[in-house]
Amino acid sequence: MDTRLPNPEQAHEIARYHLFVGIAMALAVITGIEIVIIYLPIAAWIIVTALVVLSAIKFLAVIFYFMHLRWDRLFCTILFFIGLILAGGTMAALLALFYEDRSEAGGIDAMQSSVPAWERLVG
Amino acid sequence: MSQAAAGTIDHHHDPSTSTGIPNKKLMMWAFLASDCMFFGSLISTHLIYRLNPIEGNPSPVDLFDIELTSFSTFILLMSSLMMALAVAAIQKGQLVSMRRCLLTTVFFGLIFLGCQVYEFQHFVYEKGLTLSSSMFGSTFYVLTGTHGVHVAIGVLWLCLMYVRSFKRPENPNWLSNQFLHGATLAASLVLTLVVSMGFIHAMEGDAAFGAALGEFFAHQWLPLILLAGALVALRLFARPRGAVEFGQGNAIDVEGAGLYWHFVDIVWIIIFTAVYLIEYI
Repeated sequence: MDTRLPNPEQAHEIARYHLFVGIAMALAVITGIEIVIIYLPIAAWIIVTALVVLSAIKFLAVIFYFMHLRWDRLFCTILFFIGLILAGGTMAALLALFYEDRSEAGGIDAMQSSVPAWERLVG
Repeated sequence: MSQAAAGTIDHHHDPSTSTGIPNKKLMMWAFLASDCMFFGSLISTHLIYRLNPIEGNPSPVDLFDIELTSFSTFILLMSSLMMALAVAAIQKGQLVSMRRCLLTTVFFGLIFLGCQVYEFQHFVYEKGLTLSSSMFGSTFYVLTGTHGVHVAIGVLWLCLMYVRSFKRPENPNWLSNQFLHGATLAASLVLTLVVSMGFIHAMEGDAAFGAALGEFFAHQWLPLILLAGALVALRLFARPRGAVEFGQGNAIDVEGAGLYWHFVDIVWIIIFTAVYLIEYI
């Protein structure tokens, strides 16, 4: 037997090492792209969309590979995504609520009046 | 007998629990899910006040230094890589490799903290942005400060994990025997923070790169020598001296700390975009 050849376990270990390093390099490149993108003379909505997409890719790469969600039971993914969806939903709801408040009730300055924001919105 | 020698352990599944997931891992994922909501509320508060700016807010673009923030983001990403390699190493029972990766993660974490301390100090003393000077200051410091506290807790946790990996079997005095080792570790951590802050301070000045580097060595030669000495001492202390009660069976403990560390990283991925990059559009 040729001892210079890695056995399947060693080969798997080397493959995982290369996978982690590759992902880290990809994350660094994506971060570089994000920094370049903000200086490009293109429409703001395109830049914002690109930033959101690139951040989401980085986020998912870390949780599925570095945090091993890809190899763990599905229940871990479900558990984490429950928190993530609740957090994302809360953020979206708050942003929508106060964006509405800005356009219709005069912004945060108006919110500091004696009438609570939700009453002004309902009213 | 070392558990590494006992055979391969399935680190992703535990048939002894009703879910098939190790309890420690399940607890950590539940905690991280709740922490998502915590950071979600802080990020949305900051964004709401940015969408509805109050008079008197400073211009964030005039405050921020995107080069410094990008550097600290890169450092945190690389620390995540080292943490993933530390977990992979201990899952294979490679203790020495795990310790090296763990220490590198800690050093990267300290560099990140050094960047943040420098940034806060710069904002407070040179730009006049404090927690109570404006609404932007309040939401910015609360959000990024909370993240920084998470990083600091992560660094402490990883240090404890490193120290724990030297536990001797059947020796109740193992911790007191490691006093010098612990003191060297603490000294190297403090020196790393001092040196990284000195480096950032030199680079953030108006001088050219070569001159800034010269200024850095001129001011930080003593901490640098002490740090090099502390790292050499750490390496000597970390040499294997008999069996330790830490191996493949403890992989779940390292993985728990790793999950927390990666979470801190993903939160920064969001903060970097939502707080910093978005201001430049």
